[in-house]
Amino acid sequence: MQWDILAQAIVNGILIGGVYSLASVGLNLIFGVVKIVNFAHGEFIMLGMYITYWSWALFGIDPLLSLVITMPLMFLFGVIVQRFLFQPILKAPELAQIFMTIGLQILLQNLALAIFSANYRSIPTAYGAIAYHLGPIVISAPRLFAFIISVVLSAALGFLLLGTDLGKAMRAAAQDREVAELMGINQNYIFLIAVGLAAALAGAAGTVVMPFFYAYPTAGIAFGLKSFVVAIAGGLGSVRGAFIMGLILGAAESLGVQYVGADAGMLVAFIILLVVLVLRPQGIFAGGRL
Amino acid sequence: MASETTNNSVYSGPAKVGWQWRKLTTPNWYVPLIGLIILLVLPVFITASYYRHVLILVFLYAAAGEAWNLIGGYGGQFSLGHAAFFGIGAYTSTILLNAWDVSPWISMFLGGLLAILMSLVIGLTCFRLRSHYFTIATIGFAEVLRLSALYFRGLTGGAQGMTIPYLGTAPAMYQFDSKVPYYYIILFFMLLTIYLTHKIRNSRLGFYLLALSQNQEAAQAVGVDVVQAKQLALSISAFLTALLGTFYAQYLYFIEPASVFSLDTSILMPLVSIIGGIATVLGPIVGAFLIIPVRELALNLLGSSFAGAHFIMYGAMLIIIILVRPAGIIGILSQGYRTVISKLPGGKEN
Repeated sequence: MQWDILAQAIVNGILIGGVYSLASVGLNLIFGVVKIVNFAHGEFIMLGMYITYWSWALFGIDPLLSLVITMPLMFLFGVIVQRFLFQPILKAPELAQIFMTIGLQILLQNLALAIFSANYRSIPTAYGAIAYHLGPIVISAPRLFAFIISVVLSAALGFLLLGTDLGKAMRAAAQDREVAELMGINQNYIFLIAVGLAAALAGAAGTVVMPFFYAYPTAGIAFGLKSFVVAIAGGLGSVRGAFIMGLILGAAESLGVQYVGADAGMLVAFIILLVVLVLRPQGIFAGGRL
Repeated sequence: MASETTNNSVYSGPAKVGWQWRKLTTPNWYVPLIGLIILLVLPVFITASYYRHVLILVFLYAAAGEAWNLIGGYGGQFSLGHAAFFGIGAYTSTILLNAWDVSPWISMFLGGLLAILMSLVIGLTCFRLRSHYFTIATIGFAEVLRLSALYFRGLTGGAQGMTIPYLGTAPAMYQFDSKVPYYYIILFFMLLTIYLTHKIRNSRLGFYLLALSQNQEAAQAVGVDVVQAKQLALSISAFLTALLGTFYAQYLYFIEPASVFSLDTSILMPLVSIIGGIATVLGPIVGAFLIIPVRELALNLLGSSFAGAHFIMYGAMLIIIILVRPAGIIGILSQGYRTVISKLPGGKEN
């Protein structure tokens, strides 16, 4: 075995794993606070990609800089989704909730197809081809930037949840809705913020991959499914678990592609999911806390 | 249906045969019978191949939704991985047909048995998972099968899929030149699933499922073997779904992982149930009659206008139905149906 190839695969995997983490913490935030499993989460990521692409194509904004456009727009989008689609069905049967988000997924994918066409769209950047050498390991600059921004944003969410009153209110609403309400926490307001934040983070995940990835209408599917694997394996509702599990999944997937075959990435992801569910159904890092 | 006993109690005196015939004069019996007769003679009037095709798809997904409803509706275990069973049925019969000329009439049962085996694996690993975990684990199983079908090209043809050699009309090999025999076969399957669902709902298993879907701990406390009941329902559901998978392969002459093992297939089965009315005998049938023609006709009418148009309509319809009536629309329909029935000759008011 060549150790440098192994190390290279792990490093590549962890770098993209950071993006999975960022996508999954949002999914977990929605599940933890609003108790809805968002099947349209991958499509939120896809929207982030397109916002980034069009900011560049129309206004020449650098893809990483466009975070300041993507995140507020996606926050607003999340607030609208929560207010008009999720809030009316908060007490509906679980399956109706799942199908609401599946309907939203189908709608967003095909709206993107109708408006933006099925073309693959990418953004050439000045730093796209830069790579840093760390001994035998090559680290591509856009992937490193994506990783750093993802970690910073995930950490910011963690700080928000642990260190602020808003975060405390969110954690309270996640643990017990009724008691939180009795303590004077406005549930609906908290839910709006939670889904808005989750959408903003998903959009950010779409933005940071644009320097090395393509935007197309179904680009969100693979990201969405992987976010699910990460969220479940890390412990549904646990933001911390999702963060660590994202990195693990990235590495495992990269190893699968390296040593099994190009199309083994997803297979590895789902096998991890099933193994975790059999051995530890509540997820590896589940503590019941956000 | 529940009112039939009160309706007939007046006639409880005469001989059994006379009582049986009396039943047919009440709308509760003759209305479904007329419906059945209409379905049986429909191919005589509908000769356009395309409309026959839409009807066949309606029956196929009605039957599949009915099979899903056993575990997903009555059992309350929301599987989003039934494509696993559907695909096992389709691939088992097609692989055996292409390799050894085994008649699909025989191999469909083998596919059913393999699906039961798969349902045991899913049951053993997933039944201790709660709600969302179970749902996502079932997606995981179906996806592993889909990706495996892509990966093991030697056996399954990979992404290119498998074709079934065309033999013209060969009833022994489950092949027909016309759509009419397929129409009656799938109509039979749909009626079979309705009959089985009706039977199961009124059986011990049906009551166990009802109890455990409402409150698992309480059901366990009164002595229901929860795991066994769920497993039995899932296995029956898996077996029926696999038979439909074989039908799908024989009807379309072509299968690929992206169709039979897809998440879209897994979604369609619960979808028709929830649109029609979950955990009701006729809900999936109503749902399929609503969803499938809209899907197909929209594809036909809007498909050429701009890309994605029909799916935009489909997604929007899904969102609107759930916003307006999260419990499905069979409630409204059955109310209207009861009102109409009570006004027909032989109804309560006569």
